[in-house]
Amino acid sequence: MFNILSIVFKYIFIIIIYLFIFSIIRLIYLDIKGISPITLNDSTYLKLINRKETLPFKVKEYYPLGEEVFLGRGNDNEIVIKDPYISKKHLRIVKDEGNYFLQDLNSANGTYLNGQRLMDVVKLKNGDRISVGQIEFLFVNNE
Amino acid sequence: MFSKGINYKVPRNLLFIFEMIALFLMFMYYKNSLDRSTIIYGLSLIFIVYISNFLLLKITTGDNYIFLIVTMLSSIGIIMIYRINPQQGFKQIVWIGLGIVLFFATYFMIKKIKSLKSWFIYYFFASIALFGMTLLLGERFKGAINWISIGGITFQPTEVIKILTIFLIASYYANYDKFKEKKWGNYYLVGIMYLFIFFLFLQRDLGSVLIFSSLFLALQYIYHEDRKLVLLNFAVLILSSILGYIIFPHVRIRFEIWINPWEHIDTTGYQITQSLFAIAEGGFFGTGLGLGHPDFIPEVSKDFIFSAICEEMGILTGIGIIMLFLILVYRGFKISINQKNKFFRIVALGISILFGIQSFIIFGGVVKMIPLTGITIPFVSYGGSSMLSSFIALGILQVASEELDIEEV
Repeated sequence: MFNILSIVFKYIFIIIIYLFIFSIIRLIYLDIKGISPITLNDSTYLKLINRKETLPFKVKEYYPLGEEVFLGRGNDNEIVIKDPYISKKHLRIVKDEGNYFLQDLNSANGTYLNGQRLMDVVKLKNGDRISVGQIEFLFVNNE
Repeated sequence: MFSKGINYKVPRNLLFIFEMIALFLMFMYYKNSLDRSTIIYGLSLIFIVYISNFLLLKITTGDNYIFLIVTMLSSIGIIMIYRINPQQGFKQIVWIGLGIVLFFATYFMIKKIKSLKSWFIYYFFASIALFGMTLLLGERFKGAINWISIGGITFQPTEVIKILTIFLIASYYANYDKFKEKKWGNYYLVGIMYLFIFFLFLQRDLGSVLIFSSLFLALQYIYHEDRKLVLLNFAVLILSSILGYIIFPHVRIRFEIWINPWEHIDTTGYQITQSLFAIAEGGFFGTGLGLGHPDFIPEVSKDFIFSAICEEMGILTGIGIIMLFLILVYRGFKISINQKNKFFRIVALGISILFGIQSFIIFGGVVKMIPLTGITIPFVSYGGSSMLSSFIALGILQVASEELDIEEV
């Protein structure tokens, strides 16, 4: 009786150990994937405030901002985040005469700027906190 | 946040399932000689491990992988130790429990203390005091003096000195600019390390000599500005190992066993050949727990635990353990790279190198890849001092993984 159990369990042990290793490697992989080598000294970008490892989806530490940037769950956005609490097209950041403006695109769960729910188009300033879904970004403008 | 750490559940639960199955199997194996306290201790250890992994995710802002990996390693270790010898297994359960407590204690303590990096001289004198105690009060055990017993408690001072040495080296290089200005300041650390290695030679603790010198060389190679000195140290190490081979007969014996253990199978080579038989016997999937004969190997629960695991749980588990160590050391390096504070950066690097080298020396030793020196595998082997000091080192590594608010002077 014990022999049979032991022989069955040895396979189970090995499977569990390898699943364990695999799940840890996957977590670490998600962690590394987000590190982008670009330097962001004198540009404008969004910086992730959450700790990346705590999020169950891929997200980068930094997102540089261009003339017009869409953020959402859909693949046609400039910033794609597969967070279920983010809408397909969630928000837009647009540059106009050197200033950056944030606009919510009628998203289901809304966009929050420094804790306030966004109703209208708002001009962004350095150090603003933008919350969407489960994540929070810091707006950094070094221009 | 609603789903904070959602994916950490996977490895945590896998670990839990693994431990429960193992516990069940062990009780089936020892069902005739069960006593209740073992069950309670085993279950509470599983509970502590699960809770600790859960709590750590909430407490720390740093790394969350290293503790998971380490608890997996000690779970594999304890299953094997318990199967070989229930009394030792029972003690080991207590050691791991204490180790986890110490891990958290170290974590909170090290975070509080702000002036660790300027205590160079204290680390030095504490190490010397421990070395002195070992030589005066030590008991010779299998050729090496590395045990002392005070009031019924026996422990290995070298395990403590390892951590002190890492602190010593780190505080030296963190204050390197200050030391450089002094006369001979460049040679302080080298002198101290040779003194330590000399002490270890007096104790005839070859495994520790190897650990200390490689730890020192690795850190010196990374941080020392005088490159000639680093090369010189390499040369001295090679020369002294050749000298050791000529002078000390027990070094020569180790080397001869490594070249050809089959000639000495009935005497000095018995251990290593039994280890090789055990690994070969196990094959890919092992014989199954309780169905092999790991007890043929002398010292199986300490130095040769790896062979026992390979025999009963298969070489795949053995490879798994090596991979776990690989990830652990990788995380250690990553922590070190991310750490801004120079002292903790060197400490993190030192601890990862320590784990890496220790596991490499013993894994390499039992599979006859390098000459065998008897040391323990951190977190896996049986032994109180080794388990506790490894958990303390892990606690320090956990602190180093966080962003610290200690100002850089």
